[in-house]
Amino acid sequence: MSHLVWRLHRTQVYFAAGALAALAVLLVVTGTAMSHDYQRFLADCAATQSCGDGQGQLYSGDGAIFDIVNLTMVVPLLFGLFWGAPLVAKEIEDGTHNLVWTQGVTRVHWMRTNVTWVLLAAAAWGSAMAGLVSWWRTPENALGSRFDAFDVQGVVPVAYSLFAVALGIAVGSMFSRVLPAIATTLGAFVAVRVAVGVYLRPHLLAPLTTLGSLAGSRAPSGSWVISSGLVGPGGQMLGHSLFAGQIPAACQTGGIGQKGLLLPCLVAHGYHQVVTYQPASRFWAFQGMEAAIFLVLAAALTAVAFRRVLTRDA
Amino acid sequence: MSTPQPTPAVATRGLGKRYGSQWALQDCSLHVPRGRVTALVGPNGAGKTTLLRLLVGLSAATEGAAEVLGRAPAPSEEFLASIGYLAQDVPLYKRLSAEDHLGLGAHLNRVWDATGARDRLARLKIPTDRPVATLSGGQRAQIGLGLALAKRPQLLLLDEPVAALDPLARREFLASLSEAVAEGDLSVILSSHLLHDLERVCDHVILLAASRTQLCEDIDDVLASHRMLVGPRRNGSGTEPSVHVVKTTRTTNQTRLLARLDGPVLDPAWEVGEVGLEDIILAYMGGDDPGPTELLGPVGAVR
Repeated sequence: MSHLVWRLHRTQVYFAAGALAALAVLLVVTGTAMSHDYQRFLADCAATQSCGDGQGQLYSGDGAIFDIVNLTMVVPLLFGLFWGAPLVAKEIEDGTHNLVWTQGVTRVHWMRTNVTWVLLAAAAWGSAMAGLVSWWRTPENALGSRFDAFDVQGVVPVAYSLFAVALGIAVGSMFSRVLPAIATTLGAFVAVRVAVGVYLRPHLLAPLTTLGSLAGSRAPSGSWVISSGLVGPGGQMLGHSLFAGQIPAACQTGGIGQKGLLLPCLVAHGYHQVVTYQPASRFWAFQGMEAAIFLVLAAALTAVAFRRVLTRDA
Repeated sequence: MSTPQPTPAVATRGLGKRYGSQWALQDCSLHVPRGRVTALVGPNGAGKTTLLRLLVGLSAATEGAAEVLGRAPAPSEEFLASIGYLAQDVPLYKRLSAEDHLGLGAHLNRVWDATGARDRLARLKIPTDRPVATLSGGQRAQIGLGLALAKRPQLLLLDEPVAALDPLARREFLASLSEAVAEGDLSVILSSHLLHDLERVCDHVILLAASRTQLCEDIDDVLASHRMLVGPRRNGSGTEPSVHVVKTTRTTNQTRLLARLDGPVLDPAWEVGEVGLEDIILAYMGGDDPGPTELLGPVGAVR
């Protein structure tokens, strides 16, 4: 049975292996150079006792490679489109399910072997990619926030990959045509990723808040800043900026346009800045929770696909 | 059912399949003994494909029951090993070669006669190293048949295997089939709407029309029991108790009855003549002749 899977999909495997190897070469070469620069930067810091803006100094010219790394976000989707969606749909579209489901292996055996292999492949490729990117981003993670590239490192890319493949298989087993299956997988994957990433993720854990002075309040380094705003003397939230009418009369005298005078005045009148954030220490908790969400979805979709295939009037 | 065989190749009782509100097959009761080469005929949409898919377990019956080689068609390895199935349009993996398909078959089946299949393809000079998409329809059909036979099935079910082939390829395909039947203990059900070809290879016939079974018996018996009665124009078949009219054709001064007889024709006004299988089948299917006809359905037809 595994022989069949290999014989039918080996071209895709070669292609995917080639693409992964190319990415590995690119990331190892650039990552080594970046790591080298970072070590030198740290050594300079130690010598001069001042570091300044490391991100700006070190990697300001490397936009393209950062874009490529961020683009690995779509790779799990590609697994869903090219490995997941056609798995059942192409057999039915070509009629070859009539051939393969009347050989000496049962339909459930066929399904189990195919699904296992394609999920394993997605997990393997997803892990390799996530591992490479996580390593590549080590200096960047230390200088900025790991949350900036939450979706391409750690364990979530593996979960996204498994989810995408399971989604593709389930959709393909419902549509039985490759193109509609691919289109639907694309739409559903993007919708779920956006819903979880944008709307659900910030609320997975209650954010922390810091109340600080207007001048220099910041979330601890490496945190994921969710919102920031001004708080008035009575504790009322005022958003990012003040309307002229909201500025206390005492501070208006100095001239509203002159920031240098306004800020100390506001501070003196009890204004603060509030920042809500998720601290860097929660990175793995977030990774774990989001991965769990997508793994549960993947498991449910796999069950749907099995049910569809086994009860299908082929 | 009066055959001595304990387990017929196929036995169905009231088998029916509905898709949505549409019955694709209804009330289909069959009994096909082993060792027969059965022609499954009927007009398009009569339920031939549906019946075959029910028999191989690819789809599930809405009502009734089927037994194939004494087993209910179920997704078990034992059942799948006992049947060979060639679906309509000969589904093959387009980019794989015949040799690749034989390799797959060897991995997917416990019993696999690769040597026999290779010999057969070699005799037919079919290239086994090229993607099957580059081969002719006749060559693909032969590969499909070869794959189905390599399982060494007890029952081979072929869905319109020759429909898309030119006359020469059709003849070659049927010759290969006859050869395989001669070689071993094999029952075959072969659906087609090309009656003429089937008569050469088949010894049993199932006729489906209007989603129902109209005939299921040995071709010799069909030929022996059906006659054309020609007489002066009149209405009905008179009082003949042994004449079961399948189809009536009236011209201005003549009445022609294609009928199943289960006894002698008493009225000497009828001129009784033999009739070919194709005419009998067409009569059951509802007609070749223009003009007013009346078709009696399954009356006395299903054994």
